[in-house]
Amino acid sequence: MAQRNGGAGTRIYGQEHVQRLLFPQIRASGEEIRIDYRTFTKSEDFQDYRQLFEDSGWRHISGTKNSGVQYFVRTGDSADDEIFSDRASKAGRYKRLSNMWLTFAASYLPIMVAILSSGSIDGKAMLNPKLLYYTPGLWEKTSLDFWRSFLFETPFALMRVFSWLVFPFLVSLYFYFAARAYFKYRSSTQSKA
Amino acid sequence: MNREKHLPLTETTFYILLALIQPSHGYAVMQKIEEMSEGQVRIAAGTLYGALENLVRQKQITPVRSDDPRRKSYAITDLGRKILKADCQRMEHMVMLTKTAIGEGRL
Repeated sequence: MAQRNGGAGTRIYGQEHVQRLLFPQIRASGEEIRIDYRTFTKSEDFQDYRQLFEDSGWRHISGTKNSGVQYFVRTGDSADDEIFSDRASKAGRYKRLSNMWLTFAASYLPIMVAILSSGSIDGKAMLNPKLLYYTPGLWEKTSLDFWRSFLFETPFALMRVFSWLVFPFLVSLYFYFAARAYFKYRSSTQSKA
Repeated sequence: MNREKHLPLTETTFYILLALIQPSHGYAVMQKIEEMSEGQVRIAAGTLYGALENLVRQKQITPVRSDDPRRKSYAITDLGRKILKADCQRMEHMVMLTKTAIGEGRL
């Protein structure tokens, strides 16, 4: 139980870049950042959580009650080099992360279904893009006048036809993140420490 | 033998329950465990927080009133005591078997 875990597996893909952007001075000083994923319903719980880390030599540098991601750096008097001392709890972090993404996906799913099933996507406009341009008399205009109005409206026309795609995109992205965190959880419970 | 579904306890859980016979806050639990185990068991902050949360959910420990507004205190419940004793008996039996084997020179 007193085993020490090396740095391997404690970092999360992409976090290196995030850290460099968020905490340039900490990265520069060579202090290692540790990450936990947790959300809290009560602010007393969040306070208690930070206090426990603080007491055991970890300074909370970023994260809020609802942010999920909690960043810590080791203060001088800490004896531990990891915030998790067994494999199960280390893996549990990925489980919580996966659940967080699943919650996001689940909250966008009804919106996506509503949009897809309510017929608010205009199939006709996709086949006949002219319908997406609302400027009166646009198609009767000529040369420069036409191009100016046409190009001006094009971004809006694109939004009109493609804005609904945001939801399927977000939902699939969240499911992808959830799956990735889940597989990370699975592999870290099974791998030999 | 009708075994508790929570058995066997992990070393972490066992020590936490043992430490919480005396109500304490998280960091005190951590220190007490290190002392009781003669430095053999050190529970890191993230692991301890998760373990306390789980034990509260399973009603083996419960939050109690704390004098310190910044730190939550916990105490073992009756269920927790029952589980701790049951696990102690489970281990006693194994220890007894092993000691017998040693005594008879089989080990």
